[in-house]
Amino acid sequence: MKKVLIELVFTVAIMAAVWFGLSQVDWMKLLNIEEATQNTEERIGDLFWKMLKNTESEITSDSIVVPVDSMLTRICNKNSIDREKIKLHLLRKDEVNAFALPNNHLVVFSGLITSCENEAELYGVLGHELAHMEKNHVMNKLIKEMGLSVLISMSTGNGNAEIMKEALKHLSSTAYDRKLETEADLTALDYLEKAGINPEPFANFLYRLADQTKNLPSQIYWISTHPESKERAEKIIEHIKGKEFPKVEKKDSLRFERVKINLKLSN
Amino acid sequence: MISSINFSYIPSEHELEKASNSYVMSLIAIMGGLPLPIINLIATFIFYLGNLKGTYFVRWHCMQALLSQLFLLPFNSVGFWWTVSIIFSSETITSNYIAYILTIFIFNLVEFIGTVYTAIATRKGTHVEWWVVGGLTHLICKDK
Repeated sequence: MKKVLIELVFTVAIMAAVWFGLSQVDWMKLLNIEEATQNTEERIGDLFWKMLKNTESEITSDSIVVPVDSMLTRICNKNSIDREKIKLHLLRKDEVNAFALPNNHLVVFSGLITSCENEAELYGVLGHELAHMEKNHVMNKLIKEMGLSVLISMSTGNGNAEIMKEALKHLSSTAYDRKLETEADLTALDYLEKAGINPEPFANFLYRLADQTKNLPSQIYWISTHPESKERAEKIIEHIKGKEFPKVEKKDSLRFERVKINLKLSN
Repeated sequence: MISSINFSYIPSEHELEKASNSYVMSLIAIMGGLPLPIINLIATFIFYLGNLKGTYFVRWHCMQALLSQLFLLPFNSVGFWWTVSIIFSSETITSNYIAYILTIFIFNLVEFIGTVYTAIATRKGTHVEWWVVGGLTHLICKDK
């Protein structure tokens, strides 16, 4: 018995040693997996954005883009996220929706901006989408649901246009799984806290839109695609209980109000 | 890893064939059951049950074939479910994962080659005992 046990332990130790030894090799680099994924992500993200740009109207007015851009920059700077890599796009559309595309394209619809009562609510949404990007949820979702081979074929220009449309629709109008949504929420809270922004309005935003969704489900994509919004809002409130945040600066509120007015005027 | 030892008695031609078949069975099931790591184990177990009333030599080799499959089962299962989690959840491919898959591939290959060798050697009348598994088989399988 003792001999068998010694042999068993010895064999398992050899297996562990082989695994440890092999894991010292950077297989991701050696097999070009990271590079291949990165190239695929870049091409697909740019293709998706091109498709959106051709079908939707992009907002280019500085009076609208610059303030939203500066909000994103604030979150990025306070969280050591490379702002340069994120491409913010504002689209003129009444749907309450914002979503992340591969290769760090962040798309926000005007309908979402106008439905925010204050800038902190928009900070929350931006933080949430930023978290999806930083945690690599976007590509993971695509790979899982479409398969890497389909994505590679898309990125090399051999993809079926219908499949691409379907994939884009999927990314913009369906939620990530519950675990990833929670992770994005918690990461967004962290971003907001570090940027000195009170996450409570973000929770209020979720509450308010969850109620409105009952009447207008098709228009409020960001909520209807993010299930259990009330539950998420409660989690946010629970998370920030007892924490102090600086009060909203009046100039920030005024600037955000001006963005909303400009959006309405430009319609 | 593998050692050839004299068995307690000289088995008959019929026994050699049956004992050798227990290894052949696991080989066929490996080929048919990939990538599920359980199929070959089930096949070997069924073959073992079918030979419960067999001679000591046949039972001994059926048990060794079964235990050899059982030994790698936990490692293969971890690899299988790790792969499933990469495909269906937010897990991503890492160097650690690739190293693990390579490790179990190497050990499965060693086991496969060992099984082929043992099937041939047993058929020729050589009694082969495996490292770890042979000793364990002696503990479990006794001469009635």
